[in-house]
Amino acid sequence: MHRKKGYQESFSKRLKTDLRRNWSLYLLVLPVLLFYIAFKYKPMYGALIAFMDYTPTKGMANSEWVGLKHFSRFFSSPYFWRLLKNTFLLSFYNLLFGFPAPIILALLLNEVKNAKFKKFTQTVTYLPHFLSLVVICGMVTDFSLINGLFNSVIEFFGGTRTPLLQNPDYYRTIYVLSGIWKEVGWGSIIYLAALSGIDTQLYEAAKIDGAGKWKQMIHVTLPGITPQIVILLIMKIGNLMSMGYEKTILLYNPSIYETADIISSYVYRSGLMNQEWGYSTAIGLFNSLVNCTLVVAANYISRKTTENSLW
Amino acid sequence: MKKRMTKLLSLFTATMMVTSALTGCGSKEEETQTAQTSANESSASVESTSEAASEGVEEFSYPMESGHTVVYWMELNSAASANFLSMDETEFGKALQEQTGIEIEYQHPASGQAKEQFNLMLADGNLPDIIEWKWLTDYTGGPAKAIEDGVVIPLNDIIEEYCPNLKAYLEEHPDIDKEIKTDDGQYYMFPTINGTRESFGGYIREDWLKELNLEIPASMDDWYHVLTVFKNEKGTEAPLSIAWSALITNSPWAYAYGVGGKSFVVEEDTVVYAPISDGYKEFLTTLNKWYEEGLLDPELATIKNTQVTAKIATGLSGASAGYLASAMQVQITAGIAEAPEFSLVATPVPEVTEGVAPEYANTTRGIGAIGAAITTQCEDIEAAARLLDYCYAGDGLMLFNYGIEGVSYEMVDGNPVYTDEIFNNPDGLEQSAALGKYQRASYNGPGIQLADRYKQTLLYENTQNARETWQVEGAVDHVLPALTLTTEESSEYATIMNEITTYVDEWTLKFVMGTESLDNWDTYVQTIQQFGITRATEIQQAAYDRYLVR
Repeated sequence: MHRKKGYQESFSKRLKTDLRRNWSLYLLVLPVLLFYIAFKYKPMYGALIAFMDYTPTKGMANSEWVGLKHFSRFFSSPYFWRLLKNTFLLSFYNLLFGFPAPIILALLLNEVKNAKFKKFTQTVTYLPHFLSLVVICGMVTDFSLINGLFNSVIEFFGGTRTPLLQNPDYYRTIYVLSGIWKEVGWGSIIYLAALSGIDTQLYEAAKIDGAGKWKQMIHVTLPGITPQIVILLIMKIGNLMSMGYEKTILLYNPSIYETADIISSYVYRSGLMNQEWGYSTAIGLFNSLVNCTLVVAANYISRKTTENSLW
Repeated sequence: MKKRMTKLLSLFTATMMVTSALTGCGSKEEETQTAQTSANESSASVESTSEAASEGVEEFSYPMESGHTVVYWMELNSAASANFLSMDETEFGKALQEQTGIEIEYQHPASGQAKEQFNLMLADGNLPDIIEWKWLTDYTGGPAKAIEDGVVIPLNDIIEEYCPNLKAYLEEHPDIDKEIKTDDGQYYMFPTINGTRESFGGYIREDWLKELNLEIPASMDDWYHVLTVFKNEKGTEAPLSIAWSALITNSPWAYAYGVGGKSFVVEEDTVVYAPISDGYKEFLTTLNKWYEEGLLDPELATIKNTQVTAKIATGLSGASAGYLASAMQVQITAGIAEAPEFSLVATPVPEVTEGVAPEYANTTRGIGAIGAAITTQCEDIEAAARLLDYCYAGDGLMLFNYGIEGVSYEMVDGNPVYTDEIFNNPDGLEQSAALGKYQRASYNGPGIQLADRYKQTLLYENTQNARETWQVEGAVDHVLPALTLTTEESSEYATIMNEITTYVDEWTLKFVMGTESLDNWDTYVQTIQQFGITRATEIQQAAYDRYLVR
């Protein structure tokens, strides 16, 4: 984009003019802005306790500064590499298998001509999204028991019954699959919306050129929703390392810490359970830095290769 | 220019979005400061009121004049939460407020989240007047630190001034008195005093033993034999079913090897970290053998108490360990519903070497884990103290143990006896829930749990006799008493133990389940030593030595 040469008003001046002209729009955006300030920016001040031996009753003013003590403790912790690896691998598998799943579902649904069947399938796949995570994990835990559903399926196909959530090798599969089960329907909505926006003339043209269903999908449908896919992918990558602790602490037990324990569950145990506020904040802060780096990198790569990007 | 601005902004926003999630603990310094000031003010006012009190009216009697309100934070026990959302709605809660004349505003954490919510409450800095909590075990750094952190206040003057009931009890029972003080002699909580010790132990299907001509197992070899027979003859999928944490910490099999508690134990005045002791290795070796041979529940890492109850009741398992009233008795009731001949009998702590009597058992030093403390933000200290002192004698003690006369109990020959309201509730409440409605001595809280009350709630002959079976002479000497650490000690201790706990939990299960061979025991011990267990043990030993000279 080329800027016009010549006289350019200062930013504050332009803002003033714009404020006067569009005050109602600014008023509309105000609550959102306040929300971010109150709940996203102000708490960041609390990140300072990563550099303190923090005691709540003493407050931040009176707690002792300890510099990078908490960080060096975490980096030299025997769990550091394991936590990093588990967090990364779980997110990576989540992305690898979890990201394409709603796209595939949307593409499949798009081809369904029977409206009733389509609606039914959509409802069934959305449903788990509305269940609380606690309920979902409770179900998964029960299904994984020796007499549980998963084991019945395994036995049906000739396997033997074992307690699945006690085997570190199965944990990632259970984690990723249950995640897909819960979110696939919900995630497909945005793609279905994007699909409905594709010009039907393109399909007609493709048909005239002799493209079958498969070719139509490759050359018309997918390019049509690429911008949405890329944007969502970048956002997912930004969250790659920020896995919530909720699902993990609901599913894991010490016998599978080896693959299940991730940074946020470790933060949960040391912060909320053992009152090591400073230490756990330091770990959280480190995690955020990693995330931030990832999202910037992903955006950069995407801008260079697909010309789609967040900014 | 414009584009660059937007770029920067969006980059900034993206950064914030990822950062914000993990930095939730905001600053509360202003509030904390005001809190401290008000605490100072209120402690000043205590002095002035106490002067006034000693000069003025001597005799105090319940109820207090109206107008006293205290905010009371406590975890609602399942006995009460089964039918009530708040203590306020229970008959006990109503009667307590009526009889003391003090209005109580109860706050309860969501079930199962007490620890998180307690810690969030501390981080937030807005404290209620009274907090019921496991101050010894679940406040990092222990009670001395809780006082130093400015969370709770020392109670010495307050007990002296406002708490004749507790004071009298402590004067009569110096052993209890010693347990609820810090090293420098500060009281910090209104304790749960239990007349009921040894209420956790092992039990086994009595009817199966008879049917198969077996004796009640008395040694580890007996257990191996009995469980094997159960497996072969009864086709049980898990002859011994128990959740792993109970198995490791509290079960008679752990006590047999002198390692109950998964933590520090006392051996002839020396503090020992049990999970690296030779006894623990032997214990894990045995468990591993049992696990490999299918004698131990294959799901021990994930199983929950309700599932254990179901397995025992339906005959999928034949033995377990648990609390007398809430596990053994519940399982008998559930089992009889399935099969009328069902019966469970308590098993003693087994001998490892035949002829050598076990020395360890589940027991306490007479104090329950939970006690009520008054916070620094409490303004009406007299009301809080009077309220908490109520259940240590007289009418309060009766209410605490038996509930309401004429409703939940009646006096028979001068002794309180529960009525059918408890045993055979007209609304169909189970016994534990009916108890939860009227009294609170069936679970921990500030007051005295009478032994007689407990006996009345035991319905079967086998449960009534269980405590004698479980008892081991002198076991209490091995229980680490209520130690208090200094602030420096406690933060060092917490840092060390934080890493070790995760490690021990994980490796214990690996050893039992055979995913890690016991040949690697030395590596395990070495790692724990590298974490600094020697230092942690020193800290505990120092605190224990201080305790001995109290």
